Amino acid sequence: MVYTRKDVSTLTKAERRRFVTAMLEVKRRGEYDEFVRRHIDYYVSDGDGGLRTAHMAPSFLPWHRCFLLDLEQALQRVDPGVSVPYWDWTRDRTPASAPWTKDLLGGDGRSSDRQVMTGPFAYAQGKWTIRAGVTDGEFLTREFGRPRKPIQLPTRAELKAALDDPVYDTAPYDSTTTRGFRNRLEGWGHGTGNATWENHNRVHRWVGGHMLGGASVNDPAFWLHHAFVDLQWSRWRQRHRGARYLPERPPGSRDSQYRRIVARHEKMPPWGVTPASMEDHSHIYRYA
Amino acid sequence: MFASWMPGGAPRHGRSRVPAGPARRRGTERVAGGLALTRRGAMRGLLVSVVGMALAPVVAASRPLRRRHPRDSSFDEVYRGRHIFGTKSGSDGRAAFTGGAWQVTVDGRPLHLMRRADGGYLSMVDHYESYPTPLAAARAAVDELGPEEQLRDMDDGADGGRGTGTRKSGTEGSGHHHGVHP
Repeated sequence: MVYTRKDVSTLTKAERRRFVTAMLEVKRRGEYDEFVRRHIDYYVSDGDGGLRTAHMAPSFLPWHRCFLLDLEQALQRVDPGVSVPYWDWTRDRTPASAPWTKDLLGGDGRSSDRQVMTGPFAYAQGKWTIRAGVTDGEFLTREFGRPRKPIQLPTRAELKAALDDPVYDTAPYDSTTTRGFRNRLEGWGHGTGNATWENHNRVHRWVGGHMLGGASVNDPAFWLHHAFVDLQWSRWRQRHRGARYLPERPPGSRDSQYRRIVARHEKMPPWGVTPASMEDHSHIYRYA
Repeated sequence: MFASWMPGGAPRHGRSRVPAGPARRRGTERVAGGLALTRRGAMRGLLVSVVGMALAPVVAASRPLRRRHPRDSSFDEVYRGRHIFGTKSGSDGRAAFTGGAWQVTVDGRPLHLMRRADGGYLSMVDHYESYPTPLAAARAAVDELGPEEQLRDMDDGADGGRGTGTRKSGTEGSGHHHGVHP
């Protein structure tokens, strides 16, 4: 049955409670840390060799779509009525807004050590100990807006600039790509200072703490952020009817991207599905 | 009812764990791991000499512990109370072929760097921005560490996690290239 992903600011009190309960149970079962490790494992940078699937690559969007579906399925094994809500960071832009309330994700980290002290994922609650981290810290950390060098969340106009691009991705299909929806959304910028982050990347930077590092999945905000990023892919397809995932065919043996990216009809690790098969999700879930 | 989103069957939920130790099959990783062990041993000695500085109040400016190597821009300094050390290996044939691999530590613990296509460096601590040099990436990583926070030595497997950087996922397996930075 097709289920619905909702705007986190519209969740009822009961929906918030059920989402949190399911997340904590997936964590308790030991499944959650596997998601953290998988994301670390699949972070292959474009200046290193090898196949890139999750980042700096056209399959950034289908990879994270599959990743979200796997988490969602783990949540639904706990509570079949739960789905991942999305955080519209163009609208909910302050530390006081959704999803940072005490009954959902909790708030900013404290200034001394960036430890999240509020909400169900605070260390003191005893249910969210970080085990698969880049550092030895066991508590969840955040640093909204990076106070020592402030940065803002992406604006609606910045997101629109990505959505307006009619081409999915362009050569060389990596972080240096200057045109195309995918990197405008993924957000490897080309300026200096705060211009180096756009859209998706900038949100990771704005939340800070765990969300900035390789183990960003440790912050449950990861999923709400990526559900919104996933929604943009759907919106982009609606806006540009007939536009497709690119590249259509694998790069040739003389291409710098030979065997380093996933073309539209190639199988994408670790799921073995093709990007083409992940373009339409209307038979699995929809966005409200 | 068990609903699978994937066409044609249930998704794989588990992740095949790469065994510790001998799993590091790839040549570059073996080289990098060997050097890391050597370096870690050396670092213990160095740490004794810098422990006072490491515990000293945060200093705004970094202090070089020794003169930088002019050729490879290796670094060895205290930055905001943290000992950051970086060197580029290059003594074996593979390193000569690939241009060598950077080994960077913060307070003696490995900081995994990756390369970006524009030539920059990303660290595991700061994964969504790249820096022009390993030194800049190391300093940026220190900026993100809390007062009591240390890098987890992902190579020792003590965290119950991994960090060997290899993942076998069938013929299209993707590898995470921690510590391999041609």
